[in-house]
Amino acid sequence: MKILKGNSASPGIGYGPVHLFNPEEELIDRKKVDAAEVKTEIHRFRNAVKKSKAQLKKIYNNVVKIMGEDSALIIETQTMLLNDGQLINGIEDLIRQEQIKADWAIKKTEKKYIALFSKLSDPAFREKRNDISDILNRLLSNLKQTNHAKSVEVIDEVVLIAREIPPSQAANIMSKGRILGLVLEEGGETSHSVILAKTLGIPTLINIRDITELATGGDFAIVDSFSAELVINPLQGQLEEARIKQKKYDLYKDRLKATTRKENRTRDHHSFDIMGNIELPFEAELIKSYNANGIGLFRTEFLLGNSTIARSAVEQGVIYHNMARSFYPHPVVIRTFDIGRDKGHHLIKGTREENPSLGTMAIRLFLREKELLIIQLKAIITANSHRNIRILLPMITEIEEVVTVRKMMREIAADLHRQGHPVHMPPLGIMIEVPAAVKLIRSLKDLVDFFSIGTNDLMQYVLAVDRNNSEVSYLYNPFHPAVVQVLIEAREEIRRVGKEVTICGEMAGKVFTALMLLGMGYRSFSMVPLSIPKIKNILTSIDFKYVSGVVKKLVGFGSKKEIEEYLIEAMFRKYPRLFSNELVW
Amino acid sequence: MQKRDIQITNRLGLHARAAAKLSHLANSFSSDIFLVFQENRVNAKSLLGIMTLGASLGNTIRVECQGKDEQPAMDKIAALFERKFDEEK
Repeated sequence: MKILKGNSASPGIGYGPVHLFNPEEELIDRKKVDAAEVKTEIHRFRNAVKKSKAQLKKIYNNVVKIMGEDSALIIETQTMLLNDGQLINGIEDLIRQEQIKADWAIKKTEKKYIALFSKLSDPAFREKRNDISDILNRLLSNLKQTNHAKSVEVIDEVVLIAREIPPSQAANIMSKGRILGLVLEEGGETSHSVILAKTLGIPTLINIRDITELATGGDFAIVDSFSAELVINPLQGQLEEARIKQKKYDLYKDRLKATTRKENRTRDHHSFDIMGNIELPFEAELIKSYNANGIGLFRTEFLLGNSTIARSAVEQGVIYHNMARSFYPHPVVIRTFDIGRDKGHHLIKGTREENPSLGTMAIRLFLREKELLIIQLKAIITANSHRNIRILLPMITEIEEVVTVRKMMREIAADLHRQGHPVHMPPLGIMIEVPAAVKLIRSLKDLVDFFSIGTNDLMQYVLAVDRNNSEVSYLYNPFHPAVVQVLIEAREEIRRVGKEVTICGEMAGKVFTALMLLGMGYRSFSMVPLSIPKIKNILTSIDFKYVSGVVKKLVGFGSKKEIEEYLIEAMFRKYPRLFSNELVW
Repeated sequence: MQKRDIQITNRLGLHARAAAKLSHLANSFSSDIFLVFQENRVNAKSLLGIMTLGASLGNTIRVECQGKDEQPAMDKIAALFERKFDEEK
């Protein structure tokens, strides 16, 4: 028996056999083959072509149904490329002549054509290299599937332990089977796999050093995120205790879920909205099951993992359209691509930046790499036939950025109009994530339709703290007087210009910060799906008038400790029964 | 062998849709059909080939047809260019 301490990242308690996970590096098979294997490679390649054609046909049919034949041209072009002798025979010849794996031949071919297209002087033709890359990458992934078809293993009914789970694999691994608990050696609270774990309700612990060496495949483990402990090979008594705790938590969750059917009103009839943040489309079902009022933040970065979709307005449009249709009449707020804040990304060219979180990221990056943003905006605009989509721009620091995007949107709309598409321009909003944006609210009055406050980054930039840096993360605190005052100021400014605002950072999904925000006058909250029942339970059980009175007093304090204590104490005093349940936290 | 210099007069040049129409038409003939533009000579029966030419509005390309049906092939192809690939109504 071993007990290891970690940080809890997703609530709950789970136990089961340990499964150690090692993400294998995805490498292209740069291998020579002998004469006999050439035939196998050609066969594999032809199968991949066949499979790709079938996929494209399906996509084409979907697209035509939803958006008409004109929009499906991209798909049609790709299908034609799959029938193109120069391309297909060229790859087969390469396999034969150089006696190499099909994977390698495809990569070589891609390189050749990218070089060819890049030399063309007309930018419209240069862009065609993306079509080639898309189709070749589709072939490549289909090739892989036929190759490893047998080795795909469903991880089910286990406690999953890993150093980290790469974003590209997280969804696949975590949603196929039932994961009873997740333990990561690394990974922040906002890493892809952790967000996913929260959504799926997988109890999760992070930051347990060397765990992949301390645990082995045959072990049994309890993941308890209430005590933030991982128990390896527990004693009978410990397992019994875990069972009871789990049951208690399940009961609590069921009760909470029942409260989601209540109307969104405080006890004194002050209404509010609760929406869900989405990282991957399948989370939509969970959000709906909690009766949320729509998607307050649809993160689209996952689309960048797939170059075909990232570069195809049509395929992206299908995703957005389906999401909007399934939440209609509630709004779906789509945030444009937002990457590069911490680690950098393969899309970011040039030298590594010294200070990525102050550098080329989010809207800054995509105003430079315009092509992808234009494709995305086009996809969003064409998907808005239900008129419930909104566009949200991340990291706005100056007015010019909004002006530029508005102009892009107008041009896209004009183009679509010329091509005979009906255009329903979605409302445009910005994320307030830097203090500068708070000061721009008045000036943005006529340029934006709504606001959204990303509290995680706003806090980071107000307090000059990298919250993932454990040396200084103690400074990262939502009750810091400066954070409180900035949030009050933003609320007042937005009220003055008469626009809507949603809070979509973690503050919306935590009990006392959500209460503080409500008291400030915010009435729209978007959060990770798992927090929805909890926050709804709290907000429907309190009185707005009382909370707002308490929050008014907070500006008088100069320290975060005083603010937090005053707020919590005031809530306990008024609602002792509600807050005495430790699970509420 | 038939050879003809043809100027591109449609607004978008030999972009995806026009290229698709051209390769489709070329494939309906048994003759070998090539397009020559600047340094490049490509098979007109390949969409990819045509796209790699990068020929835009105002450029002149040479069309070469060789085979049994080279005459009708050349006429039909020239006509397609003249009709601006039917893209401007």
